[in-house]
Amino acid sequence: MSAPTEPSVERRFRRLSPLTPLVRSAILVVAALASTWDDLLRGDLGPLAWMFLAVLVAGAVYGAASWLRTTYWIEADELRVDTGVLSRQSRRIRVDRLQGIDIVQPFVARLFGLAELKMDVAGGSAREGSLAFLTLRDAQALRETLLAQREAVRGTVPGGPHPTVGPAPATAPAAGDRLVARLDLSTLLLSLLLSPETVLFLLAAVAWVVAMSTLGWFGGVAAALPVLGGLLLTQFRKLSAYYGFVVTTSTRGLQIRRGLFELSAQTVTLSKVQGVVMSEPLMWRRMGWARLDVAVAGQVEVDGGGGPSASTVMPVAPRAEVLLMARLLLEASGSPDADAVELVGAPARARWAAPVSWRHLSFGIGEDVVVSREGLLIRRTHVVPHARVQSLNLHQGPWQRRLGLADLRVDSPPGPVRVRGRHRDAYEARDLMARERVLAEAARGSFVRPG
Amino acid sequence: MNEPFAPPGQDWQAVSPALARLRRTVLVIVTVVTTGLLLALALLLPLPVWSWILALVALGFVAACSWVLVGRNVRWWGYAERDEDLYIRHGALFRTLVVVPYGRMQYVDVQAGPLEQAFGVASVHLHTASPGTSARIPGLPAAEAARLRDRLTALGQSQAAGL
Repeated sequence: MSAPTEPSVERRFRRLSPLTPLVRSAILVVAALASTWDDLLRGDLGPLAWMFLAVLVAGAVYGAASWLRTTYWIEADELRVDTGVLSRQSRRIRVDRLQGIDIVQPFVARLFGLAELKMDVAGGSAREGSLAFLTLRDAQALRETLLAQREAVRGTVPGGPHPTVGPAPATAPAAGDRLVARLDLSTLLLSLLLSPETVLFLLAAVAWVVAMSTLGWFGGVAAALPVLGGLLLTQFRKLSAYYGFVVTTSTRGLQIRRGLFELSAQTVTLSKVQGVVMSEPLMWRRMGWARLDVAVAGQVEVDGGGGPSASTVMPVAPRAEVLLMARLLLEASGSPDADAVELVGAPARARWAAPVSWRHLSFGIGEDVVVSREGLLIRRTHVVPHARVQSLNLHQGPWQRRLGLADLRVDSPPGPVRVRGRHRDAYEARDLMARERVLAEAARGSFVRPG
Repeated sequence: MNEPFAPPGQDWQAVSPALARLRRTVLVIVTVVTTGLLLALALLLPLPVWSWILALVALGFVAACSWVLVGRNVRWWGYAERDEDLYIRHGALFRTLVVVPYGRMQYVDVQAGPLEQAFGVASVHLHTASPGTSARIPGLPAAEAARLRDRLTALGQSQAAGL
């Protein structure tokens, strides 16, 4: 479907791209071809091939039926999606509840010029807010329509209720967007080479070679190979996910475009930013590099492994650039300068509670933000604006009471950001809690609810 | 400088002593059942008598300690309703103090299981957008729990701030 975008179109029922079943089952088709390759070449179909054929035919019929029975349209500020071949489902997604709309192009879909529209719905699952697949143009048009409608419903558009609706390409920055940062390939490659995983692996490899040459010990090869494979795979996944990382600003927030095989375009709505975390691995500090992740309301972290993560707004960049981006992301909640906040370390007696890490624990309250920093191998600086603080938590175990220490935790919505002052002096911790309570209250009061 | 776990300018509101009674009842039931099991095992397994006596003494010691700890723990539960936020303190051994601003509350739960109902108590649970917020007050008299819930909900609505 490549209907032109005109206002009347939104009243009509629309279908997904007819290529959808093909793209969805591409893996199956490849698997079928691969496993029956010998049979196919011989021109003689064995039982496996017939089975696959039957599955494919059934799949094709089901896919076609599913495509026929899936329609979507916009009505009364809701995106409605009807699906289901036998049992019908009707989903209604309220436009004003949409947190963010991303366009994702998985590899196979990209070959056919198709894209998936992923909608973040507050409190909804990922599956609920997905529309796959549309042609790229349709996906962009629908995204623009939904965003425009959302802003019209909320009535919070600075330049009038109906902004210009135009296609914003997923792969290239639109005109009027300002470039914030661009990640070049050499930096990305070097950062992957200097990542903690790689360095740990290399250290283990060196130790192994030394052990082998001095002791004549040859064990562990079988164990090392899968680890090496896993490492290469993770690093490759990061490379392909972060390839061509470009960050721009537009009126709607920060736009992130990235990907080698699977292109993705993401919008971080500034008014939904809950906090940021800057990570500096030990090996990067010499280069002065850092990574920036953001916590956004309604976006729950799914990928917990070492792979690429959706919360990353900059995989690697010079520290100053990362701080600049952090400032940009937190602008909606004041004018914070995370680096200007004075951080105070834990008292020396904290060594009895945390023998190694006590030197690397610090906490500070600034004018607009509350900041904590911890970590020896990867130094992480967590920043949450006062206006985003949910609740405060003071905790003291029996051993900490002996030492006169306590932990102060700043609770924020689920995400990578977690501000906490560990092993503070107990009296100081209660004082900090009281100060932060007052600052958060003041910030909440002056903060206008964004729609 | 404040005492780290001192109340915020007003006294802690204690939870119902029924909570201690409830927990001690559970403790007694568990102890009696375990003793019964031990005695039954003593008849079945050919172990020397002193080992069973030792086990019973250990059980009695643990039960006595728990009895005392329940009292201490219940005494340490406390909350303070203020104009803008709610303070909750709990834990005698692992102490925790939580401040929840009313404007940050998403919803308030009141729960009462069958045992709690029998003792006429209920627990109030405050939820914010952060799953880390552990704001729960157990063992409130049922009427007080309902009053607190209504008050918190009303305050939460009037002071609600955007996420």
